[in-house]
Amino acid sequence: MRVVHYLNQFFAGFGAEEAAGHEPVRLEGPQGPGRAFAAAGLHVDVTIACGDDRFALDEAASLATLLAWIDEDAPDVVIAGPSFGSGRYGYACGVLAREVARRRIPVVLAMTPDSPGVLAAEGGAYIVPTGANVAAMRHTVPVMTGLALRLAAGETVGTAGDEGYLPRGLRVNVRADDDAATRAVGALVAKLGGRVTTEIAPPADRVSPPPPVPDLAHATVALVTEAGCVPQGNPDRLPTRHANVWLRYPLDGVASLSADGYETVHAGFDTTDANLDPNRLVPLDAARALVDAGRIGTLHEEFFTTSGVDTPVAVAARFGQEIAAEIRNAGVDAVILTGT
Amino acid sequence: MSSTHADLAIATFAIDEIVEGTQTGRDGTTLIVSPPQLAVGAGEPALAEATVEVVRPGDRVRISNVCDAVVPDVRADDPSRTFPGPVGTADDHLGAEPVIHRLGGVCVLTSCDWEGAGYVGPDELPASIVDMAGPGRDRSPFGDTTNVVLRCVPAPGVPVGEADAAMRRAGATLARDLASATLGHTPDDRTLPVAFPDADPSLPAVCAIVQVASEGPLVDTFLDGAHLRDLRPRAIDPAWLYAGRITNGAYDWPGVRNVTAAYQEAAVIGALAAVHGTSLRFAGLILAPGYLDTASAKRASAEASAALAAAMGASGAVCTTFSSGNSHTDTMLTVRALERRGVATVAMVCETNGGLTDHVDEADCLISTGNEDELVDPWIPDRVIGGEAGARIGLATPTVNYLSGCTQLGNDVWTAVPA
Repeated sequence: MRVVHYLNQFFAGFGAEEAAGHEPVRLEGPQGPGRAFAAAGLHVDVTIACGDDRFALDEAASLATLLAWIDEDAPDVVIAGPSFGSGRYGYACGVLAREVARRRIPVVLAMTPDSPGVLAAEGGAYIVPTGANVAAMRHTVPVMTGLALRLAAGETVGTAGDEGYLPRGLRVNVRADDDAATRAVGALVAKLGGRVTTEIAPPADRVSPPPPVPDLAHATVALVTEAGCVPQGNPDRLPTRHANVWLRYPLDGVASLSADGYETVHAGFDTTDANLDPNRLVPLDAARALVDAGRIGTLHEEFFTTSGVDTPVAVAARFGQEIAAEIRNAGVDAVILTGT
Repeated sequence: MSSTHADLAIATFAIDEIVEGTQTGRDGTTLIVSPPQLAVGAGEPALAEATVEVVRPGDRVRISNVCDAVVPDVRADDPSRTFPGPVGTADDHLGAEPVIHRLGGVCVLTSCDWEGAGYVGPDELPASIVDMAGPGRDRSPFGDTTNVVLRCVPAPGVPVGEADAAMRRAGATLARDLASATLGHTPDDRTLPVAFPDADPSLPAVCAIVQVASEGPLVDTFLDGAHLRDLRPRAIDPAWLYAGRITNGAYDWPGVRNVTAAYQEAAVIGALAAVHGTSLRFAGLILAPGYLDTASAKRASAEASAALAAAMGASGAVCTTFSSGNSHTDTMLTVRALERRGVATVAMVCETNGGLTDHVDEADCLISTGNEDELVDPWIPDRVIGGEAGARIGLATPTVNYLSGCTQLGNDVWTAVPA
């Protein structure tokens, strides 16, 4: 079993704030709290460390250096921290953990639940909750050790509730004691008695309506659709369902979407009428008319498209984030989003 | 509620073993099947091939392209009424003393490679799997039953509706013929699943709303063999579920659509019956459409279901869901409509890696039937029944590809928890 441990400059022994700009460093064997892990049964083979300020101010380069060492060492598990209540240290642990997890290497952290590192890890890490300072070390190290040993051995670990790590935003399947119908009736009887329970918490990512566009006559508007609208022949092979990509197509010089030039490959509805007039998928004709009438400033030079059928919500959320980033960078003020 | 169907009895015959013989029959808890005989019996002009194989829990077998699961039933009082529509006579009245003989621990699975037969495009119907061993065995409840697998190949040029009808008819016939081995025998167990005696009127009245979807060939649900594409919310006798009047012809997303066996076992009715007279009064069953095409149709259907529930005097409702994505909006709107009428509601829904597809504030009491996106480890079986295409051999496979892996009719024990 090979273990890599990430620390900041303080816990690696380089100094406190005066050493916060310390460049990334790789050290053999356990350092600082790494010795506590060894005492608990987890031997650290390699310690990597970085100053908190250095990581924050030069994240990309610091991360690249740290990850290159991890790639070279090919550990079975990476641990980081505990960072306790430290915001910068926690953030660095979280970002590093996110990238390590993307390499399919298990990673275990420890920090306060409100640390920015929790969000930065994006659900990739097992994060043991701690108190705000090193007094929590004695309780934290055994829990981290237990998780790391089992993850490194390829064993399955239990749920967040059973194991004591922070929920990662994932939902794993387990067998309940009763079938769903029995649980449903039980929950309903309780609800009728005034005690409301649920197995699924309300979503926390509800989208609030943005404020109105202040001056549409001078705004740049983009057209986005999940209606599967593509050029005839689907040259880029947009999947008809459970799409894993979104695409963009130029609108320069295109006054209207003709039936000869465009079609929908969406597998979720009867496309007959839409294919007769693809403007009903992407309302380019109407948008051009509004531009001509001076009610919209300009149209963005591309439209964005995917087929929104059977697409996992997580994938759709990623599409939205990626398209939104593109649009924001392009200076777009508003979007007309057509759905099916 | 005073019962009008208390006479429907389910007589169960436990089957411990299935052996192959020259004639289909039963010897105690051993079922003897003759695959060639059953295959011939299942023959249909619209099917070029219909082969029968038996697989048992623990066999290193993956069944692919699974379309439906049917519990072997026969109407002992009148076998001609078995599976009304596909093979039996349809009649709203079940008869004077209806008795269903049912085989326990056995299921008929139908399998057809619709893409290979040229009826659908690539990925139009997702992989549909049952594993009898390996890491995915417990992801489908049919990994734990002894399965008589009917693999069908449509005859060239047959319209899709005819080929599908032939396969469904063949599956129901096979299920009936297997159960017919019990005729004249005494069952191990006999229940009256829809006997709802008069209950204390001070108990809260609760209805069930069973959502089904019927969108066209290969994605239909049937009542007495007729598709339900024009279904409006309506009250039905819960005995209809047990009696095999609702059957499945929807083959997309196998983990979350309802197979025929799920209706036959009607867990939601069973759960309500278990506490009828003690914690609540059963008020009735509503069959409602899901996967509706427009926002207005969804709202109208939700309102109609809520109005029916109110007319039943219900102060509580249990909602089931059919499939995922689109139909979750139907469920959520139904929950909202019920709650706004003062009907306390619980709904069964599956989850995804990204959470719920839809949610309304009124949905404060939800039962999770599992995360349909969770990957099941790759497996290489010794044998595949149903064709290598779509069998996902050696690939990690989402739970939604396992038949009834996240069924939202309440029949299984899976749920999802934070990790």
